[in-house]
Amino acid sequence: MLKIENLHASVEGKDILKGLTLTVGAGEVHAIMGPNGSGKSTLGHVLAGRPGYTVTAGTVEFLGQNVLEMETEERAHLGIFLAFQYPVEIPGVSNMEFLKASVDTMREQRGLTPLDAVSFMKQAREACAAVDLELDFLKRGVNEGFSGGEKKRNELMQMMLLEPRLAVMDETDSGLDIDALQVVAQGVNTMRAADRSFILVTHYQRLLEYIEPDFVHVLAGGRIVRSGDKSLALELEEKGYAWLEDEVA
Amino acid sequence: MPNFMELALDYAQSNAPVWLQPTVSEGRQLWEKQALPTRKTEAWKYTGVHNLRQPYAVGESTAVALKDLSLSLPDLDAHRVVFINGHYRAELSSDELPQGVELVRFAQATAEQSAEIAKYLGTIVSKHDHVFASLNDASLTDGVFLSVAPGVVVDKPIQLVWITASQTAAFTTTQRLLVVAGANSSATVVEHFAGVRGEQAAFTNGMTELLVQAGATLEHYRLHLEEGAAMHVGGVHARLLANATLNSFHLALGSVLKRIDVVVDFQGAGAHCELNGVYLPRGEEHIDYHTCLEHAVPHCTSSETFRGIVGDSASAVFNGRIHIHRDAQKTRAELSNKNLLTSTRAEVNTKPELEIYADDVLCAHGATVAQLDETALHYLRTRGVSKAEAEVMLNFGFINEVVDGVRLDTLRAYLRPLLAHRFSRDPHLARHLA
Amino acid sequence: MSQETIDKAIDKEYAAGFVSDIESETLPPGLDEDVVRFISAKKGEPEWMLEWRLEAYRTWREMEEPEWAHVHYPEIDFEEVSYYSSPKSMEDGPKSLDEVDPELLATYEKLGIPLHEQEMLAGVAVDAVFDSVSVATTFRSKLAEAGVIFCPISEAVHEYPELIKKYMGSVVPRRDNYYAALNSAVFSDGSFVFIPKGVRCPMELSTYFRINEAKTGQFERTLIIAEEGSHVSYLEGCTAPMRDENQLHAAVVELVAMDDAEIKYSTVQNWYPGDAEGRGGIYNFVTKRGVAHRNAKISWTQVETGSAVTWKYPSCILRGDNSVGEFYSVALTNNLQQADTGTKMIHLGKNTRSTIISKGISAGKSSNAYRGLVRMSPKAQGARNYTQCDSLLIGDRCAAHTFPYIESRNPSAVIEHEATTSKVSDDQLYLCQQRGLDAEKAVSMIVNGFCKEVFKELPMEFAVEAGKLLEVSLEGSVG
Repeated sequence: MLKIENLHASVEGKDILKGLTLTVGAGEVHAIMGPNGSGKSTLGHVLAGRPGYTVTAGTVEFLGQNVLEMETEERAHLGIFLAFQYPVEIPGVSNMEFLKASVDTMREQRGLTPLDAVSFMKQAREACAAVDLELDFLKRGVNEGFSGGEKKRNELMQMMLLEPRLAVMDETDSGLDIDALQVVAQGVNTMRAADRSFILVTHYQRLLEYIEPDFVHVLAGGRIVRSGDKSLALELEEKGYAWLEDEVA
Repeated sequence: MPNFMELALDYAQSNAPVWLQPTVSEGRQLWEKQALPTRKTEAWKYTGVHNLRQPYAVGESTAVALKDLSLSLPDLDAHRVVFINGHYRAELSSDELPQGVELVRFAQATAEQSAEIAKYLGTIVSKHDHVFASLNDASLTDGVFLSVAPGVVVDKPIQLVWITASQTAAFTTTQRLLVVAGANSSATVVEHFAGVRGEQAAFTNGMTELLVQAGATLEHYRLHLEEGAAMHVGGVHARLLANATLNSFHLALGSVLKRIDVVVDFQGAGAHCELNGVYLPRGEEHIDYHTCLEHAVPHCTSSETFRGIVGDSASAVFNGRIHIHRDAQKTRAELSNKNLLTSTRAEVNTKPELEIYADDVLCAHGATVAQLDETALHYLRTRGVSKAEAEVMLNFGFINEVVDGVRLDTLRAYLRPLLAHRFSRDPHLARHLA
Repeated sequence: MSQETIDKAIDKEYAAGFVSDIESETLPPGLDEDVVRFISAKKGEPEWMLEWRLEAYRTWREMEEPEWAHVHYPEIDFEEVSYYSSPKSMEDGPKSLDEVDPELLATYEKLGIPLHEQEMLAGVAVDAVFDSVSVATTFRSKLAEAGVIFCPISEAVHEYPELIKKYMGSVVPRRDNYYAALNSAVFSDGSFVFIPKGVRCPMELSTYFRINEAKTGQFERTLIIAEEGSHVSYLEGCTAPMRDENQLHAAVVELVAMDDAEIKYSTVQNWYPGDAEGRGGIYNFVTKRGVAHRNAKISWTQVETGSAVTWKYPSCILRGDNSVGEFYSVALTNNLQQADTGTKMIHLGKNTRSTIISKGISAGKSSNAYRGLVRMSPKAQGARNYTQCDSLLIGDRCAAHTFPYIESRNPSAVIEHEATTSKVSDDQLYLCQQRGLDAEKAVSMIVNGFCKEVFKELPMEFAVEAGKLLEVSLEGSVG
């Protein structure tokens, strides 16, 4: 489904990713762990096509297409979803109209007709309930005045409505209490499907207690330095990242 | 221009040191070419200058003890320079200065010093935007040049005191200060205007120019404590170079006419200015602060807070302009102006202005006018505080945020009781505040 | 986001820019007393009306064009303007819609304003003003049943001279300002509305103004009188063809809200703004003011997207105790447009209240200024004002200004003013694009969100129209 080869990327002239290679098959859940500054978030933004993130070498193929040539929204249409670590506020634009616009565009891209208001509301309601958000949130401005946890759940709710093929969760677990964490994990688990893959970017092993990954990778110095199954996460929890960095150095 | 300043101008022409004479005569030419502002002049819409128009004598040098003037200056542990009615008073001033600090009076400048002064004098103020700047040039006979060498950190504040004492008839004095803070230097300058409550009018025309060079920090205070018939028209004009910091605090008690312009010109990236002020007119007094932050270059920040309490039949004007020039991207500028009216005859006119020509900036301003918060007043009274005392406390609370920002402890300690007593002639009521 | 994308997103055509091929009678350019007499005679006005105009003309001659606004344009040669233009077919005046030139009706159809009653927006009565004359006023008989008068002002001069004598110039005196004086001398047509005591106007009233003829000025005059306890909602829309030269539009609007009355006045101003190089477009110099008596309410809502230069300050004089004034404004400038707009809230009565919400959007190389005055007089015990002024900048060559004058002479009055500026941030665009929206849609959505507080004040169908208008006006500003 996703094939990343020898990816180099820089931000503001600074090299962050330095030869990252990763293959994600359909239906798989990959966890990417690593110390601060290792390039975890950069990977998500490069996949999503954030302006200012320059790919200097390597390829990214998603569903057989070269996504690096695509605009941000084209990648979204293809099914790449990024759950932001710090979702931005858009004052005055209600969550509802934002979601409706987004869902309609996605459907249009898939050759479907826009949802009528009633069915859309039904879906939105269900998604809200699934992530334990009050319906009120649909009427409020996009992320406007949301708490950290509310923003994260709002991202998850959007993922549910947009039904992506690949969801990149950028530290969705950070700053969440245990209850919220379980809500997020349950959301992801119910979304797991044979034709949908996940990349979970996380700093802690904690999330992986609730979402069982198929693979765990350690990102350090802009490259994947070690891959394994979920036991690798436990090992990291125990030993920290320092030993790996030493090993790489 | 009406010739009410003739005596002072003639006096300057014959008494200014030779090297200053070109400045004096150019100033006079410009002054005489201009017209006095009227209510139709946008910058003088709410401030009339009719009170100014009377013939003035020139300020005379008087040998008086401060206690005879019933004046007390803050005990700042500072280097002090004192002028009375525009004349330097050696016996009240201290002469030793720390290494790297040069303090020169215009009247005493050597050829070398005058050449240095002339390099900067009048280069920071925009004379065509400020009518009274040319009057200041035209009436110069003396002034102070303060220069801090690059890298020097001056531990003690430098205090400049201008006192208007009584004379037999209306008189005028001219104040001029030029500060050049060298690169990466750090200094504190306190400008202190005080006066004797006299019957006859005194008109001070003041102007301060501040050049804060790259990486330097200047703590600047300008206290206008003259009252009654002591009129003051003038201002502070500052220029900041790269990464310079200016913290400027302004205080004005009222008098018949007070008009202060504060202009900060950002000319180097990374510069920062914090501009704060308090104005407290009462009786028939009038205070007008016009501030202008010229963000001409990118990556500068400014934060401005002015608070005013206007009582009796007094009036106050605040005009706070923030001008973000084209390409001054990444500027952050904030301004807050709040006013209390404590009498049915008092008046406030405020205009916070934004003029923005760059898009990647964060600017905000806010202004309010109101009276004391009734619920707070009530709350204090339910706790047994008398209405009068509660009012004093709340008035003081309204400006306290700004006064608390005064970094110089000794100055803050001097100002607190002075301000608290401003709200009540009964010292008992302010006892918890001082 | 690249300048190119932004540009693409804002570059759309001015849709109302067509010229109608209508034969018209147009006065040669120039202004003197004879022109004033000609206009008055054309309308068959009584002597008192002519005298009123002539007095205004003489006043205007002595006045100077104001220069304080933050706008720049070449000096207007008032001798180059034609002060009267009328479609030929209107010479004898149509008696009913059936007699109106089909080409005229087609013009309004094309603008989306069908004048045939059976096709009209349900519940909206329309007065259509084409160049200098009113061409059709719909639903008049239905309104008459309720006692509501809605007719061209030229007609009101004949039919209701007492009302005109009493109220015309009572809110905006002839010598109020340069353009008001000019309008008072040469005003050609406009709408007159009278809502009798206690009547709630059964439908929305609206006027569509259209400048068609080249080199003509449009000087309409609107007067709305709401008697005690009455209620009316009025909407005006404005369009003009695309022409290379600038055209002058100097209107006067006067509102009188008697005790307990309410007037809601909404404007969607989409005069031709000129092209991307700043050629052509309307000079929109307008004086709008209302007087609110005891417990009355006047609410101005404006969406200003058109005109090359706008100079406009819909104001409220809150004369009566407890009266309320509101001003909700969206002003969008793009390319080389300039706007200096805002409001005045003059609090005279006790417990008067005013709210000002202003949203300015600058794109391209345009300049957008908010200018406002809030004045609390010594008698305005317990008065309140709240002002929120936000500017949104799109691109780094535009300008946004805020000039709020706040004057208080009453300690019990409370004034709160806040202003902010922001840009459409890269992060906001990125989030929208990540969710599949293209840049154009994203910008338009963000801008609409920015304006939401104002749009919700518009009548429903016009709010939708206003949103679309913003989208069109923004074209080419996203890059």
